[in-house]
Amino acid sequence: MRRGSDTRLIHLGALLAAAAIALSFPSMAPSPYEITVGIAILNYAVLSTSWNFVGGFTGYISLGHGAFAGLGAYGTGLLVARAGLPPFAALFTAAALVALIAVPVGYAALRVRGASFVIVSIALVLILLLVFQSWASFTGGSRGLVVPRPFPGMLRAEHHRTFYFLFLALLAVTLSAWWVIDRSRFGMGLKAIREDEDKAQSLGIPTYSYKLVVFVVSAAFTALAGGLYALWFGDLDPVFQFSVLGGAYMVLMALLGGVRHLYGPLLGAVAVGYALEYAKVEYGDTPLHLVVAGLLLGVVVMFMPDGVIPAATALIGRFRRSGETSIREVTAAELRERREQPNRTEVKDGERSGT
Amino acid sequence: MASDSGSSSGFLLELDDIRAGYGRAALVLRGLTVRVPAGAIVCLVGPNGAGKSTVLKVASGLLTPRSGRILVDGEDVTGRGPQRMLAAGVAHVLQGHSVFREMTVAENVLLGGYTLRDKALVAERAAFVRDLFPVVAQRWTSLAGLLSGGQQKQVEFARSLMVGPRVVLLDEPSMGLDPRATGVVFEQIVRMRDAGTAVLLVEQNARRALEAADTGCVLDLGRVHVSGPAEELLADSRLGELYLGVRP
Repeated sequence: MRRGSDTRLIHLGALLAAAAIALSFPSMAPSPYEITVGIAILNYAVLSTSWNFVGGFTGYISLGHGAFAGLGAYGTGLLVARAGLPPFAALFTAAALVALIAVPVGYAALRVRGASFVIVSIALVLILLLVFQSWASFTGGSRGLVVPRPFPGMLRAEHHRTFYFLFLALLAVTLSAWWVIDRSRFGMGLKAIREDEDKAQSLGIPTYSYKLVVFVVSAAFTALAGGLYALWFGDLDPVFQFSVLGGAYMVLMALLGGVRHLYGPLLGAVAVGYALEYAKVEYGDTPLHLVVAGLLLGVVVMFMPDGVIPAATALIGRFRRSGETSIREVTAAELRERREQPNRTEVKDGERSGT
Repeated sequence: MASDSGSSSGFLLELDDIRAGYGRAALVLRGLTVRVPAGAIVCLVGPNGAGKSTVLKVASGLLTPRSGRILVDGEDVTGRGPQRMLAAGVAHVLQGHSVFREMTVAENVLLGGYTLRDKALVAERAAFVRDLFPVVAQRWTSLAGLLSGGQQKQVEFARSLMVGPRVVLLDEPSMGLDPRATGVVFEQIVRMRDAGTAVLLVEQNARRALEAADTGCVLDLGRVHVSGPAEELLADSRLGELYLGVRP
């Protein structure tokens, strides 16, 4: 009991410290460039946490979530540039439209599992890339789309600072939504699907409906991240927006931190995002950042298949439990106690020995 | 086979003249009839390939019979799927270990009552199974995958009781367990029966199963070859030689 309340206090302290660092980062950053790196990392964190609604809860690996980010970005950009909507009204309208589009997409894609689902998700990105490249009269095609800035009179440094806090707020909302689902009856059903979908169905869980709902929620949050990126960056290129690599980064970040943990994708985004930005700055336009990403993926798969957070938690648990026995072992003291009390019931005996 | 069931026949579960098989292959069950009274353990024993597990699949709606009738408390439920059979009061604990390994014991047990909307009823049932299976209460917050085989089996039993079934179908509950764990599992089956749940049990360890059961049915070639009080089957030396394995 004491250990439980201690753990909660440590968690709360760590959360407050992380929040304080995140909130004070723009004031401490030596130049606006560092703030843009912070924004890129926050964007990655929102994207990978959004991906983790599907990947973490249901175990379905989607490499096509870049499609929802791209649709959110282009949707927001087009609603501002072509329909004249106010920027933030366009952002939420685009996310709602992407959620609607995700219904038929999920309806089709979630009928298959495993590798088939991965391939369907990749196909979605490639189809959208072709559409947005080819439909130049509407989307700008390969020339890209310029999105009007939401705060026209604002200086560049202040623009970055404002968007840093907007991305931070979006991350907080996304993490809160994941946390709420994780603790809900709906979340328990989703986790049962991840463990064994057939078994979950046999217990009366409406597996298909649940997968579809969480897929749509995931798409909506991914679209919000894409849309906010469009308003911040102001220039959209279909090759970058509809990229399989974008989806692969989301998976890598979530896997690195731990897909079953609330903060897993965030931790992965900080590590991978920083490594990618560092490689781009140091080695320019070389594809070294891809090599870094590949190496990180290899390290995760080989040494921490459940991610950094579960690996670290297990390590701490091992130190904490030193001196205790495993559930299958019986201590010498217990054996002595049994010999001295031969009238113990057989049921208790069996349980104590791990039967 | 006296019963306190409300049905006119006096049986909670009746499989009447069942013929069933897989796909277009030959029939596995060929006119099988099994009846389970309320508050009793009925045990199906027999050689490999006799159709024991197929009987449970038919009873739980996983396999639709080609002919024959399935009655639960007198109501004809033939052709219903697994979820509707669960709603009718028939819970199936599958062969092997079927806990959700990465979820806690509590989550595993509560998932058993997922279809129940009444939170008070879920809490009441959870308290009941925690009381019935002490190991479930002791390991309530542990990951189910960390439990031993015998403990996992008890979590499965507890999960199956969360919907308040009238009949539990147990398929090879002692599979993969050492003799001591097997003993604990059979004690828990008897406790389930004593708590008011009828049990239809399929078991390779025929002698041990008949020792726990009230009624035994010996299956061979898809139909019941011999049935009667379990102790009488155990005492029959000819049956012992043929089906139960002679005691060393």
